[in-house]
Parts: sequence; structure tokens; C-alpha cells
Amino acid sequence: MERTSGYRIELALAALILALAVLSLMVGPAALSPRAALGGLISGDGPAGIIVREIRLPRMLLAALIGATFGLSGAALQGLLRNPLAEPALFGAPQAAAAAAALVIAFGLAPATSFAVPVAGILGATVSIGALVAIAGRRASLTVTLLAGLALASFAGAATALILNLAPNPFIALEIAFWLLGSLEDRSSDHLLIAAPFMLASWVVLAASARAFRALTLGEDAAASLGVDVSRTRLMVVIGVALGVGAAVAVAGAIGFVGLVAPHLVRRAVGSDPARVMLPAALAGAALLLAADIAVRLGPAAVEIKLGVVTALIGVPVFLAMIFRERRLLEGAPS
Amino acid sequence: MTDALLSARDVMVRLGGVTIVSDATLTLHKGELAILVGPNGAGKTTLMRALAGLIPADGAIALSGRLLAALKPRERARRIAYLPQGHIFSWPMSVASIVMLGREPHADPFSGTSAEDRAAVERALAVTETSGFAARSVTTLSGGERARVALARALATQAPVLLADEPTASLDPRHQLVVMELLRQAARAGNAILATTHDLTLAARFADRVFVMDRGRIVAEGPPGEALSQERLSSVFDVVAEMIDLAGVRVPMPVRPR
Repeated sequence: MERTSGYRIELALAALILALAVLSLMVGPAALSPRAALGGLISGDGPAGIIVREIRLPRMLLAALIGATFGLSGAALQGLLRNPLAEPALFGAPQAAAAAAALVIAFGLAPATSFAVPVAGILGATVSIGALVAIAGRRASLTVTLLAGLALASFAGAATALILNLAPNPFIALEIAFWLLGSLEDRSSDHLLIAAPFMLASWVVLAASARAFRALTLGEDAAASLGVDVSRTRLMVVIGVALGVGAAVAVAGAIGFVGLVAPHLVRRAVGSDPARVMLPAALAGAALLLAADIAVRLGPAAVEIKLGVVTALIGVPVFLAMIFRERRLLEGAPS
Repeated sequence: MTDALLSARDVMVRLGGVTIVSDATLTLHKGELAILVGPNGAGKTTLMRALAGLIPADGAIALSGRLLAALKPRERARRIAYLPQGHIFSWPMSVASIVMLGREPHADPFSGTSAEDRAAVERALAVTETSGFAARSVTTLSGGERARVALARALATQAPVLLADEPTASLDPRHQLVVMELLRQAARAGNAILATTHDLTLAARFADRVFVMDRGRIVAEGPPGEALSQERLSSVFDVVAEMIDLAGVRVPMPVRPR
């Protein structure tokens, strides 16, 4: 009805993603012109071909897929909990997933590029998201949700500390510590292959719940009276977010706050409709992570700044600004 | 009776080990506005939620002869519209898109809104006097305006049965009358409506039939003049009421606590 006609925001974001994708193939220790980058991508010949196809293409695709997954996961959690501050990282989901995935690698339970790693990540994320939805899901007051998130994030942090504590040797501990910071450095098509199927599955699962989020804006009783199976929706969101976040974290480490910022950026353009926001949120997430991953490569430092550090540095101030704006709700009024 | 749209027999609801509703038997007829009254904590909302199929209940609840429990959620949603108390709007969506949610049970996931959907929404907006702010964000409205938007959403479903929990709470006098008139008209158009209210005078004026609930049981049922007698208001509500004559209808007016 009054929604913005057509898909203007989606088209604009798609164009932005395309531009960032090309830029992502150009940027790195050996800078390439757009022509050289695209030429290398198409022909695969020479050093440019190897750099683009073997190193930068998997990295670019991972950034786009992981960004989209986090954007969609954030939008879905927000739709389910009816709360714009819900985001996987606030509840320690990436930390829990990273801890579980690191556990598998640290103790040599499986090679780093086997399906065991994303599966472990997914299990870790399931525990965290499942606990959150169980604790804060039903009445979803802002205060309860945030307190539950704080507790879960602390718990995930403790679990991670325990793994570092028990790591067989200091090199592995260092490796895990870096992993937790989140990065797409030196990722190959193997990483892409083990994570992409789970992320695509998570998109399907989450997109299927979109309509339910729209009805849930009226609260759980009214949504149920409109034919929405609220418990099933809750379960699907837990599964969908865990699949996506678990798999993303298993290959890229803990990257937070994309799920908070991406839906926030596009919400107004779709009239705050929690179903209609899903696709733009996914696209905005992809664009954000592509941009962040380009930014870390542009820095003058000899050592690349970790991607997760950048997203947290951008995401936390946005989160604080949102809390400040919502403080009226936090001061006791039900959300 | 053949015109029973919803009939409930011996409904019992236990929540957390406590019996909230017991032995509730009632029938809602086509064309009738029934009003459920009772003191705080009598179990009105719990009974309404059970009738709407939102919580499990013992006993038998049937919709036009079919058991409520056997209906698929969407099918049930097309037959019963439920307006909860308290009107939650979690996102600053436009009034028009909120009211469009009432069409959700009719929606086909692969097509957009139909002409029928739009007509139902426009009608619901018009009768609740909310057309004027259809494009505004629902979170910018006053409490009374929100209450009417919530009712418009429930009406947009065009379900034969409407269960409305306190549809006049937080409304000014004029809109209380508008909403009651509207519920009566919707009933006359062939629907069965059950509404709750704490306003006994309003209930007596508009109800075709009144159910009085007390401590989980329906203790009286009948035309307002019988169900809302001075004796009953005294025993159930603990108030002393005077009967006043309002354009030929005798309605109770609570005057002091007993």
C-alpha cells in the first residue's frame, strides 16, 4: 500500500555490492586496475589471474555471503523478538560458535577445512541462540532481552577463555585468539565450499519465516490468532540463525554487529515492515562486510587489522546510539 | 439452535496447575452481540483465549459444528478474529499495513494483496474512523486511536466470529459509543461477537445477551436486564448499583463499593 513502490532500495544495494565486489578484487598487497582484475578473473592467466581467482575471489564471495547471512540473521532475530536491538553478537552466538569450532581444530579433532568445523560452529551457535530465545523470547521486553544477552555473551566468553586455558600449546592458543577477532585473510575456495551450503540453507529457513514476523508485530497472541505457528517460527529462527552464524564463524571467526547495523540502515526505507526488511537487510549486510573487508586491506599497517575488530568498532557506537534513542523503552515501558 | 456459530461445552482451562476457567458452557449466535463481564481475575481473558484456540482447554469448542482443535491454524484464523487486550504494536508500521495484517489468514504466499483485501481494509478503516491516519505510523497515535486501529485489524479479517477483549478500554466516551454501535452493526450483518468490558452500563445498553463470570465460572447468562440485576452486581462485583432508565432501557449504574 504505502510501501515504497518497487524495489528501489534493493536495486541500489545490488549496484553497490557489484561495485564493492569489483573493488574487492582490485585491493590488496598487489594493487590491480579494474581492467587487470576483471581480465584476471575471466582468463585466469598470469599472476593477476592467480591472485584474483585463487585469493581475492573466494575472499570477496565469503565477505558477501557472510555479510548477507549476518544481515538476514539480525533481521530475523529482530522480527522474532520484536526488538531492533536483537543481534547474534549481543548474545554471544559468534563467540559460542567460534569457541566450538576452535575446540575442534585446537585439539586436532578434524582438519581445518572439513565439514566438522562448521558443524561444530552451528552447534555452538544453536546453544547460544536457543538459550536466548528460551529466556527472552516469550515476553521479549527490552530489558530482559538485553540482560539475557549479557549473561549469554559472558558465558560464551568464559567458555572461550577455558579453551584458551586448556589449549595444548601456546601457538594454538594464539591461533584461536586471532580467530576470535574474525578475519577473511587467506581464505580459499575450500572455506567457501564448506560454509556456503549451510549459509544458503539458513537463508531459505529464515526467509520462510518472514511473513510470521509481520504478524508478530501485533504480539504473540494476535499473531497466533492470525494463523501463525509461533513456536514453530521460534524454532525455525533458532535453526536458521545457528546454521548461518555457525557456518560463517567457522570460516571467518567472530564477526559481530553486521546483524544489528544492516537492518537498522534499511528499516525506514521499507516502512519498518519486519518481513519486507529481510532482503534489503541481507544486501546491506553483504555491502557492509565487503566494504569493511576492503577497508582492512587499505590500512597502512604491516599487519592487517582484523575484520571483526572493524565491525565491532563501527557496530558498538551504533548500538549505543540506538540504546540512547530507545532509552524511554528501557526505562520500564514494555516494548 | 441452527444459527450457532461458536459453541463451547464444559470448557476448563488450567494454567500452571491452577484452574482458571471451569465448566464454561456458552453459545454464540449469528447476528448477536454478547458481552462477557466479571470482576478482575474472573477468567474472562483466559476464556476468550481458549475460545480463540490460543491455549489448550478441556471440553469441546466447536465452530459451525466443527471442532476447533481439528481446524488448521489458518482455517481457524479465517473463522475467528481475536482482538487481544492491550494492543501491541512493536514496529512503527503504517496504520494501513497494520490493518492489512487482518487479511493474513486469507493471503496467498505467492501473490500480493487482492482487490478483496484492499476493500476489506478500507471498510475496516472507515467504520473505525481511522481512515484519516491510514498512512501514519501507528506508534505516533494516541491510546484511543491505537485501540481503534487494533479493532480495525480484527474487523479486516471479516471472520464470522469476533472475540474482542476490552475493545472500549482507553476510548473516550464518543468512541466507546462508536465502537459499541459498530460491534452491534457487525453482529446484525450476520456475525457472532463476544466482547468483554468493565463498563456495566455500556454492557447493559448494547448487549443482546450478557454472560457474567466469577471465579472462573459463568454464573449468569441472559438478557442484560436479568443477568445484570442489582442482586447479582452486589454478589459478584461487590458493588451497590442503582438502576437507571435510559431511553426505555434499564441499565445498572454502580454507585459505591459494598
